[in-house]
Amino acid sequence: MNCPRLKDWLDERYDLEAIKRLAKSKLIPEHRYDLWYYTGGITLFLFIIQFVSGMLMALYYVPHIDFAHKSIIEIVTKLNMGWFFRSFHHWGAQLAIAFLFIHLFGTLLLKSYRKPREFIWVTGFVLLGISIFFGLSGYLLLWDERSFAGTRVATGGAGALPFIGWFIKAFLRGSIDVTGDTLLRFYAFHVAILPIITLSLIGLHLILVMYHGSSVPLSLEKEQLRAAPFFPNVFYKDLMIWLVVLGVLVTLTVLMPPEIGVKADPLAPQSENIKPEWYFLFLLQTLKLFPGEIMGLNGETIAILLVTCAILFFFLIPFFDRRSSRGEASPLFTWIGVIYLLYFLTMTVVGFLS
Amino acid sequence: MRAIGIIKHRLKGWSLSRHLQLVALVSLLLMDAVTSWAADKINKIEVFPSTPYDGYIIYESLAVFWLFIIGLIVIIRMKLREIQRTQELGIEEQDPDAPLLR
Repeated sequence: MNCPRLKDWLDERYDLEAIKRLAKSKLIPEHRYDLWYYTGGITLFLFIIQFVSGMLMALYYVPHIDFAHKSIIEIVTKLNMGWFFRSFHHWGAQLAIAFLFIHLFGTLLLKSYRKPREFIWVTGFVLLGISIFFGLSGYLLLWDERSFAGTRVATGGAGALPFIGWFIKAFLRGSIDVTGDTLLRFYAFHVAILPIITLSLIGLHLILVMYHGSSVPLSLEKEQLRAAPFFPNVFYKDLMIWLVVLGVLVTLTVLMPPEIGVKADPLAPQSENIKPEWYFLFLLQTLKLFPGEIMGLNGETIAILLVTCAILFFFLIPFFDRRSSRGEASPLFTWIGVIYLLYFLTMTVVGFLS
Repeated sequence: MRAIGIIKHRLKGWSLSRHLQLVALVSLLLMDAVTSWAADKINKIEVFPSTPYDGYIIYESLAVFWLFIIGLIVIIRMKLREIQRTQELGIEEQDPDAPLLR
């Protein structure tokens, strides 16, 4: 596309050449692990898809206990391509969280979090937490038996935390149990509060990445590496990968549209063997490992406390890993990362199969 | 096998009407099982267009979409190779005086 008049019009007002020079001056190192750089870009692409498809869904969704389930059925069965956009949004969320985990573990194992990039890790980690909350809040909006039971378990689990648990539970539910208030609250989180926080954090994360540049793995730091300009070389590669991801997403959307269960009835007894979304399975399996009572204390509280400590340790790894910060190999934290990854995978698979 | 033999032996003495009665009874039982399964199905909400024609159009569109994606990737790949070639030659900028084909 060549529009000289438009280009001139913009050139008179903005220094486009400077922006072009900046994009070309940003260099991305080329090495055998550089595929990991693209996982961040894929996640960003999936976030954009989620924003767009979510906006379309919000045009027809009714956040009320009596109409929520019905409005989803109407979106799927009556609206032109409604089934597609609902399935697209569902699978987009699954892939976004999967790639967030891949990006996180890639960053952890390549020690990209080391000095001076600790805050990139912090913003990314918070983004993962927010995305999981995005998933939880979006899950309830369906207002079917499964999502209702899942939300009850998740908010109840948060309530098991000592001291602040009751507050978190009450804040999330907006009531004693999961009710219409919870639905409205989760809707507000899902479409207003979380998107604003996410956008700000993505912006901050990208600015920090631009500021510090791409990290090179410790083992390759002393080698003379080639570097390619971000624009156009890496950007074109990003585009190709995004297209493949879009193809996979559309294929999943068409071949496996998510089911809609029976409308939730808060007074009905809870159905057995209801599983939460896959990214909560490791938590559920961990809770199952603990007995009801340990030395007179509530087993669930101890389990939640231990999981919270483990997540907190994971979050603070860049500040504990001093050897990587000094540019030395730190096999201990590599092993810790591998153990976390294996535990997460094993528990997710066990939870899925059980 | 022995049980089947006993049943065969008992059925030998039955008249045609008794046989028909048995077939009707078994059919009714099976019908009940079939309809109860169908009732479960009816409760399920259709999350994908149910007519075969719509399904065919959607799957066909998916195949065309993949062809479109592969085509775009090939074009971007060719463009990228061209850019890398000019970068290796050290002539990144286009010559402003080069004649244009209009």
